Parts: sequence; structure tokens; C-alpha cells
Amino acid sequence: MQVLSYSGSQLVDLCSALLLLTCFAIVAQRRLSACVDLFALQSAFLVVTTALVAYLTGNQHLYVAAALTGVIKVIIIPRVLKKVIDRLNVKRELVMYVTVPAGLLICGGLVMLAFFISQPIIPLGFLLTRDSLAIALAIVLIGLFTMIARQKAVTQLVGFLVLENGLFLGATAATYGMPLIVELGVFFDVLIATLIAGIYTNRLQDAFDSVDTNQLTVLKE
Amino acid sequence: MLNLLWILLGSYVVGILLPFCLPRRAEVQSLSAGVPAVVATSAGVVLGLLGLTSSGFITGSLASTIPLLAFTIRIDPLAAFFLLTISLAGLAASIYALGYVRHFDGRASVSTIGSLFNGFLCSMTLVVLADNGFFFLIAWELMSLLSYFLVVTEHEKTEVRYAGLFYLIMTHVGTAFIIVAFLILFQGAGSFSFEIFRHPNQSLPEGMRTLAFLMALIGFGTKAGIVPLHVWLPYAHPAAPSHISALMSGVMIKTAIYALIRVYFDFLGGQFPWWWGFTVLFLGATSALLGVMYALMEHDLKRLLAFHSVENIGIILLGIGAGMVFQSYGLKELAALGLLAGLYHTINHAMFKALLFLGAGSLLYATHVRNIEEYGGLLRRMPWTGVFFLVGAVSISALPPTNGFVSEWLVFQSLFLSYQLPTAFLKLMLPIAAAILALTGVLALACFAKAFGISFLALARSTQARHAEEVPAPMLVGMGLLAAFCVVLGVAPMVMLPLLDRVVAPLAGISIEGKVLAMDGWALAPVNVEFSSLSTPALSLLLMALALLGWGLAVTFGGRLRKRRYKTWSCGINLTPRMEYTATGFVQPIKRVFSTVYQPTAKLETEFLHESRYFAKRRHFEFHIEPIFEKYLYDPLVAFFTTLADRLRVIQAGSLHLYLTYIFVTLILLLLLAV
Repeated sequence: MQVLSYSGSQLVDLCSALLLLTCFAIVAQRRLSACVDLFALQSAFLVVTTALVAYLTGNQHLYVAAALTGVIKVIIIPRVLKKVIDRLNVKRELVMYVTVPAGLLICGGLVMLAFFISQPIIPLGFLLTRDSLAIALAIVLIGLFTMIARQKAVTQLVGFLVLENGLFLGATAATYGMPLIVELGVFFDVLIATLIAGIYTNRLQDAFDSVDTNQLTVLKE
Repeated sequence: MLNLLWILLGSYVVGILLPFCLPRRAEVQSLSAGVPAVVATSAGVVLGLLGLTSSGFITGSLASTIPLLAFTIRIDPLAAFFLLTISLAGLAASIYALGYVRHFDGRASVSTIGSLFNGFLCSMTLVVLADNGFFFLIAWELMSLLSYFLVVTEHEKTEVRYAGLFYLIMTHVGTAFIIVAFLILFQGAGSFSFEIFRHPNQSLPEGMRTLAFLMALIGFGTKAGIVPLHVWLPYAHPAAPSHISALMSGVMIKTAIYALIRVYFDFLGGQFPWWWGFTVLFLGATSALLGVMYALMEHDLKRLLAFHSVENIGIILLGIGAGMVFQSYGLKELAALGLLAGLYHTINHAMFKALLFLGAGSLLYATHVRNIEEYGGLLRRMPWTGVFFLVGAVSISALPPTNGFVSEWLVFQSLFLSYQLPTAFLKLMLPIAAAILALTGVLALACFAKAFGISFLALARSTQARHAEEVPAPMLVGMGLLAAFCVVLGVAPMVMLPLLDRVVAPLAGISIEGKVLAMDGWALAPVNVEFSSLSTPALSLLLMALALLGWGLAVTFGGRLRKRRYKTWSCGINLTPRMEYTATGFVQPIKRVFSTVYQPTAKLETEFLHESRYFAKRRHFEFHIEPIFEKYLYDPLVAFFTTLADRLRVIQAGSLHLYLTYIFVTLILLLLLAV
């Protein structure tokens, strides 16, 4: 059992690390549709991680959460985003506030920061997922950073979704998942938020002929 | 008795929901809101009387999942008294509403008004019944919000929206102070239960108690409309539908009086330094005087009544303030008398102010105007409304044999009894307050001489007034009920005083029923028969006898009661409304006398015919009085906050990225701090 939980812990860490890797890929990626694909991939890794934790701990409700993640984040949301991109006809994210290498460096720094912050907490835990906590925090920070660094509304939305993935991983890592009812609520929130943001992006395009959120400054009084 | 409570709350809930479930016909909807309200308020009246007479308390509680919050209810005599007051006024208003809401058919949703009306009454009831700080605040906020929605019923008018916004801001500022007061009490108690507030584990230090006193005074004072926190009142009360104005002015502001007594005498145990009482007394005197003075200058009937609420809250506070002063010197009997006077005026004001607002509503219903300059001669067209309004006007002017007289007389007595106080300063101050109260009474009389005389007597000044018709029966019943209470409470205070004594006794620690009611209850004698006494039944009999005597003398010796037709003084011209004394003219001397307070500006523009300067083509006269508090207190405050907001707008760049960066940086800093 000890051996299993040790190797299980290693497996969970591996999957979490893959999640983090996709984050870096998103930061480095300039093409919008590729960003969405990468998000779908990241969500797929999240499904695997969650299912793994469910299997190793025997928490049945995590299977449901994993299945929902699969349906909503791997299939529905990427499709919605793809449709938005098609309609907007913007393929490339040309303007970024931070160049790609600088962005990657900052993300590296953020990962270090996340590990530094969670250092005192991790030894206190006894869950087999405890080491994923730092990774989850890093993903949250990188998601937030993506939202700041990119100008196009679509990538900001992707940043938001990445952030949410990080939160979900964190919840799984810290407590073996939230109660099912909470998770269901969160899923629907994210789905609705994405739909609303999609519509809002379309409106932005209609109003300014661009999905550059910088245009919103003209709304200032 | 718990059953009654369920009937009460259940009917309100039915009244809130039912209007939305029934067909959209105004009659059906007003019935579906009015009938549950009548049932609920009747249950409230019975429950209030039971609570006042029974020896034990009714308590009930419902746990909640939120920490520190419990839906606890307790009907002790104080709560029962206010429950009775709310329910009596609510009963009259809900009967009145059956007829009145037709006025709104087509302009506003009758079902929404009915539902909000029930909700408003229910929240006020819960405010006085709540026995948990959290629960109290929830009910308090509900009361504020529901009344806000009622104020903005006619939201298509700009001034109504302004009034609503003003009210909303003021009431929330007040609530903020109340929350601070409760948090201070929470510090000592460690719980939000009122029971633990009463008997805290560790008593608060003196400084904290003072802070709690001030916070409660400002917070509840905003709702009560104490000067200078009264500014919202003359905007908000007139804007609401009249039966709501009656409740807001007659009852809602009383919940603040309830809360003040609850905090000072119950939670803080009636132990306080003399200057607390003096502060309340001072504010009461200021409110009473300024309230009536501004009312006098007002020609919008509902605004006039709203200013009178400021005055009457002042009178109530004079009683309570005197009680507090006496309490801090250990003069328990006098303290009980002061409180009793304040509470008596509370129920009296609820009755006559509700009556007057309903009367104003009837005039509005019949004529569609609020300015009394456009009334005139209405007594002939609307005799019942006129009589009821007169009863209200007599009561509010504190004339016997109505209720306002009795309670103001009691307030006077408790102020005069200050000679028993040990310090010269207070010995002097209380009689000065009594003098101010006397001045207030005179001005109130002048004001209602104006309001009644200009509105109901002489000739109609406008087409609307000329074609006014008496209002429908439910409205008359509602007003008649209140008018009857005004007379009963005035002629038979011996019925009310024992009940009030049961409210006051636990707060002041002494029962004064035996002393106040002399001669087997036929006379009132404030604590000491030798000092002064008053028998209201005898007084009423005397007044009636005098009136009969006058009439008799006139019949016997006058001999000229036959109707004679004769040329008037008007030089053979027919009388027209243009010859009448106007409200503006009526108050002109008073305006001159008190011009220091009013700071009036009068402007007369005359356009002459260019052929001759002896003939004016057009004259335009306007005058307005300076709103001192708004100009010198509120405007600078608003200007200050606007400047502050302008400065802070620098960080509002409008850039989404910048805002996200703020969040990001804050998050990282906090995380680093946590490590």
C-alpha cells in the first residue's frame, strides 16, 4: 500500500507537471486557435489527474468531476471559443505587452515564487497529492499573468480558464476535491462565464472592430 | 399567544405573495393585499395588548446556519407597546389603502404597492420583536429597502427619484452607525443575542459605552429625523403614496425611538452620565423648534406634515431626554414619568400623524394637487375628510380634549419637575426646554390654523378644488378609526397609562401607576398631586359645557341667528378667491419675526405697461427660505467627498490590464506576507 501510494503520488505529480508545461506552451504560443487547443490539452491532463486521484483514494465523486471536466472543458468550451475566433476572423495575437521570452522568464519566476510560498505548507500535509499544491498555485499565477500580458479578449478568456484549472487542481490537491455540489456549481459558473465572455467579445468586435480590450479605456469618463 | 404570532406573520406573507397570484384587476389586487394586512394588523393589536397585560414574555426562536444569527423573537412590554402602535396605524392604513390605491391604477402597479405595503409592515413588526442583533439589522435593512421602493413608486418623476436616492443614502449611513453601535455591544457580550447584551459577561469600559451611545444616537437619529439628520424626511415622506407616508411618518420613525430606548435603558442598563440625557434633551428641543418652524413655511401639505414629524420626534425626545437626566441622578419616579410622557407622545403622534397624512392623501385623491394654496373651501365638498383632518389638526396642536394635549402636558410636567435635580445648570436647562416646547406648541397651532383654514375654509382657489368630491368609504373608515383613537386617547388616558406604566416600570425600575393616576384614575397627577393635576374627562365635560353655554347664550340673548342677506364689505363686488388670505400671507408675520432663522429671500418683479408706470402688466413674486443645514452642513460634506473621489480617479485608468495588474500585485504581496 505504501509503495502504491508512493508511486501514485509520483504519478499525480507527473500529471500536474504536464499541466504546468501546457501553461508555458500557452504563454509562448502566438496563434489563438493553438492557444485554445493547448487549453483543451491542459484540461485533458486535468481529467487524467482527477481520475487518478479518484482511483487512488477511492473518492467516487471525483470521477463525476473528472467526467464533467472532460465534457465541459475539453469539448464544449474549446468549441465555443473556436466559433468565436472563426467569427471574429482573428488568427494571430499580434500585440502583447510582454515579449514571449520575457513572458516565459516571468512565468519561471512565478513558478519559483509559488514553490517558495508553499514550501512551509507542504510538509504539513499528509495527502498523496500534497506536492501538487505548489504546481496548482503556479498555474493560477500564470493564468492571471496571461490575462494581464495579452491584449486580445479571447486570450484573456483562455487565461481565465487556465486560472480556473489551477484552482481546480488546487482543490483536488489540498482536499481531494470539494463536495460534489460545489464542484457542479463551479462548472456551471465557468461555463456560463465563458458563454457570457464569448458574447461580450463579439460585442466588443461589433463596437470597436477589434477585440483589443485596450479599446475599453475610451469608456472611461 | 404564539398562535397569534403565527397568524400575524402568516397573514403578512400571504399579503406579500397573493397580489401577484391573482388577476390583474386593481380591485382584486387591492383586496388581496388589504385583507391579509387587516387580519395581520388586527392580530398585532391583540398580540400587543396581550403582551402589555400578561406577566410573562412571549419568546420564540428559530436557529439558523449562519453563526451568531438566530431568529429570536421576544415580546416584552416595550416591544408589545410598539407592536400595538405599529398595528393600530397599520390597521387604519390598510383599510384606507383599499380605497386609495385606485388612485394609482394605471400609473403604478397596484399589486406591487400592496405587496410592498405588507412587507413593509411585516419588517417593522420584526424590528420591534427581534431579540438578536443580527436579526434586528436584517429586519431594519428590509424596512429601509422596502420603504425606499415604496418611496419611488412614482419613479417617472425626477424629484421622486431624487427623494428616493437621498433617503437611501441617509438611511444607509445611519445603518452604518447602528452596526458600529452593535459591534461595540458585541465586544462586551461576545454574542449578538439581545439577552446577552442585557447581561454581558464583562461590562464595557466607560469610553466604549459613550461611543455606543453616540453611534446609536446618530444611527437611529437619522431614521428618527433628529435635526440636523432630518434633511431626507421632507423629501422622502411626501414622495411615497399617502398611506405609506402615514406609516413612514407615523410609525417607521418610531422604530428608532424604540431602538434608542432599548439600547440606553435595556442594554446599557439605564446607567449613564447626566450629559447623555442632556444631549438627547438638547437635540429634542432643537428638533421640535426647527421642525415646526420649517413646517410653518411649507405650503406643500405633505411636506408640511413631514416637517411636523421632525417636531414631534423632538417632543418625544424631550420626554425621553428628561427621563434620562432624572435616571442618572437616581430620581426613578421622575425618570419613569419622563419616559412615560415620551412613550405616550409616541403612540399619540402615530395616531394623529397617520390621520393627517391619510387626510392629505384624501385631498390629493380628490384634487390631484398637494399645494394648499390651490385648495380652499373643501369643507363643504368633503365634510367627513374635513372633520377628521380637524381632529388630527387639533391633536397635533396639543389642544384638549385630544390626545396630543395629554402627552405634551405630561412632557411639560416632567420638565418642570427639574427643581428636584441637584445641579443648578440642569435646574435651569429643563425649564428652558419647556419654554421652547411652549413656543413649539404655539407655532404648531399657527401652522395648523393655516393648513386647515386655507385648505378647508373660504372659497375654492382652483378648478380641482371646486370639483372635489368626498373620498370613498374605506378611506373614510381608515381616517375615522384614527380620529376615534385620537379622541379616546385624549379623553381617557387612564386606560393607556397603566399599560404604559408596565412598559416603563422595568426600564426605570419603579412603577408609578398609583401615583400618576389620582382620584381612582379620574385625574392625572405627575408623581405629586400637590404639584399639579389634570382630569381629562372633567376637562372635556367643561369644554362641552362651555360650548353649550356659549351657544345657549347666543340663542337666548343674541336673537340674531336668522339668516340675513346684506351687502358685504366688498363694495358690491362679488367675492372671489383672489380676495382670500393666502397661506403665504398667513405666515408672513412669523417669517418676519424669525427672519434670523429663515434667512428669507423675497423677490418681486413687476413688468409695467410702457404707457404708464401706474399700471402693472404682470407681477411675479417669489420667496424662499434658506435651507441652512443643507447649505452649511451637507453641501460642504458632499463637495469634500466629490473632491476626494476626483483625486482618487487617477487610479481608474479604464484599462482592464491595469486593473488585473492591481489584483495580481496585491495577490503576490499578500502571499509573500503570509510566508
